[in-house]
Amino acid sequence: METLKASPRNWLQNILADWDKTQVLVSFVILGLIALTPLFIKSPYYMGIVILTTLYIFTGISWNIVAGFSGQLLIAHISFLAFGAYTTIVLYNTYGVTPWVGIFIGGIVAGLLGVVVAFITLRYGLKMDYFALFTIALMVALKTLFLKWKFVGGAIGMGLSLSEPGFGKMIFDSKVPYLYIALGLTALGIIAQYAIYQSKMGKYFMAIREDEAAAAALGVNTSLYNTLALVIGAAMAGVGGGFYVMYVTFVEPPQVFDLGLNVEILMAAPIIGGLGSLAGPVLGGILNKPLAELIRGLLAGGRSGSTLIVYGSFLILAILFMPRGVTGVLHGFYLKWQRRKTGNKQEG
Amino acid sequence: MTLLEAHNITKRFGGLVAVNDLSLSVSEGEILGMIGPNGAGKTTAFNMISGYYQPNEGRVIFDGKDITGLRPDQVCKLGLARTFQVVKPFPQLSVLDNVLVGAYNRTNDKQEAQQKAREILDFLGMGNMTEQLAGGLSVAGRKRLEIAKVLATGPKMILLDEAMAGLRPIETDEIIELVRQISQQGVALLLVEHVMKVIMSLADRIVVIHHGEKIAEGEPQAVVQDKAVIDAYLGEEVANVAG
Ligand SMILES: Nc1ncnc2c1ncn2[C@@H]1O[C@H](COP(=O)(O)OP(=O)(O)OP(=O)(O)O)[C@@H](O)[C@H]1O
Ligand SMILES: [Mg+2]
Repeated sequence: METLKASPRNWLQNILADWDKTQVLVSFVILGLIALTPLFIKSPYYMGIVILTTLYIFTGISWNIVAGFSGQLLIAHISFLAFGAYTTIVLYNTYGVTPWVGIFIGGIVAGLLGVVVAFITLRYGLKMDYFALFTIALMVALKTLFLKWKFVGGAIGMGLSLSEPGFGKMIFDSKVPYLYIALGLTALGIIAQYAIYQSKMGKYFMAIREDEAAAAALGVNTSLYNTLALVIGAAMAGVGGGFYVMYVTFVEPPQVFDLGLNVEILMAAPIIGGLGSLAGPVLGGILNKPLAELIRGLLAGGRSGSTLIVYGSFLILAILFMPRGVTGVLHGFYLKWQRRKTGNKQEG
Repeated sequence: MTLLEAHNITKRFGGLVAVNDLSLSVSEGEILGMIGPNGAGKTTAFNMISGYYQPNEGRVIFDGKDITGLRPDQVCKLGLARTFQVVKPFPQLSVLDNVLVGAYNRTNDKQEAQQKAREILDFLGMGNMTEQLAGGLSVAGRKRLEIAKVLATGPKMILLDEAMAGLRPIETDEIIELVRQISQQGVALLLVEHVMKVIMSLADRIVVIHHGEKIAEGEPQAVVQDKAVIDAYLGEEVANVAG
């Protein structure tokens, strides 16, 4: 009989024996390191990059669940983020609702948009490239609508009614509290992503991604589970959008209904990190935003065309040379290490 | 008792009538073999029965319920599961997870589903491949996995579409034995095969399809002696061997 001793060493060994758990551990180690950055980084500019890096991990997870787990070719995911951002700022500015509640209502509103998108695309049988085009068309249509819609500021957009800083208003003097809120959201995001991955729902998502007809043959209601993936991803993006608007303090249609930002804030981290993997959004995320910022800095400021070309080329190279992302490369090393370990055990 | 009944089902693709006015029935626990030349409409019939195609005419009754027009997942929930002629593994998922998806058809409990999936993989002799990615399996492995997945859904009846095509004789014999054991557990089967040996050794009855229509039905020995069947499909030689 083995005695069940929960020593830290056993605990670590248990995690390292399982690649999925290892990925979660790696994710949390990286979040832990990010949490230490305020000790070293005093410049608000660099702290800003760290905050957005963290946020983009969280928003990356939201896209990873839809595109990576369930395999839906959702391109313009940013409409959901925009809904979350607008909901949060309108609730705060117009109705005085605290952003702590507002960003979650933003998530619900974005989730409802997800239901609408799922309903329309299922109703008209839009799949793969047609689904992708639909999401882009929707983004363009929403941008036009928001440009005309006076209640949400029309073309001018909306700035946060800044008042005295305060915890209840999620408005702070220093950047550091924003970082810890982003880290908190991201930690929840990683746990949620892992829970989904391990669950019946997660297996159904991945079965649909791998072969929708075969999934249906095994009793998977593919319409229902496609919708669930979309709504979960949309709601998470909405929460991310809510935090985003509290941090950048304004929102306008051309800023959030934009494919450039869509790629940077939602798609890049999971793609670089490994789409559909658990550590992908984190491993890709810590490269994505800093790199985008570096390129922007080197090519002298602003959202110029050349920045997008270099950044886009980098993404293409990442896809070509690491089709399974940074996580895929790490998994290769992990398997070698595992094999060596079991090999040693057999010899010894 | 009759488990599955297809009443006069017809499927047209534009001008082509792939299945024409086909009726068949399968009793509980029975193995019905379906044979016919390439393009005869066997897979199309499967697709209509399992909810992938809506028949243009006719009805499908399973276990006393009219299932015409139900979705594939609803048909599976009722206990009628099908395999695919062109096997459809989930390549990036492990063998265990492939079967797990099937096992979740009858339970929401992870432990229970995993246990069921493992039992079935053991039954199919794949117990040592659980962690492997399904995409890396051999042809024989993929064919077995296809059967493991449908078994995991807890079916009353399985539609097997050429589950043994492309296998070596030894592998075929192994699958025949497995199918026999599945049948002994009380599961009814509708079996499409080109390999006559399989049909002859397993089927209780045979239907023969040609140009989308049923041209013969009955006891295996009688059917393979049937003139129309020999002309349409078997040729003299096979009939002699089988008879
Ligand atoms: N989705 C489809 N669209 C158009 N024609 C189709 C479609 N599916 C099948 N057919 C046609 O219907 C006819 C019957 O095909 P089916 O696949 O059912 O034959 P089968 O008996 O299964 O043949 P095989 O033994 O080669 O598997 C063929 O002429 C085929 O080309
Ligand atoms: Mg066929």
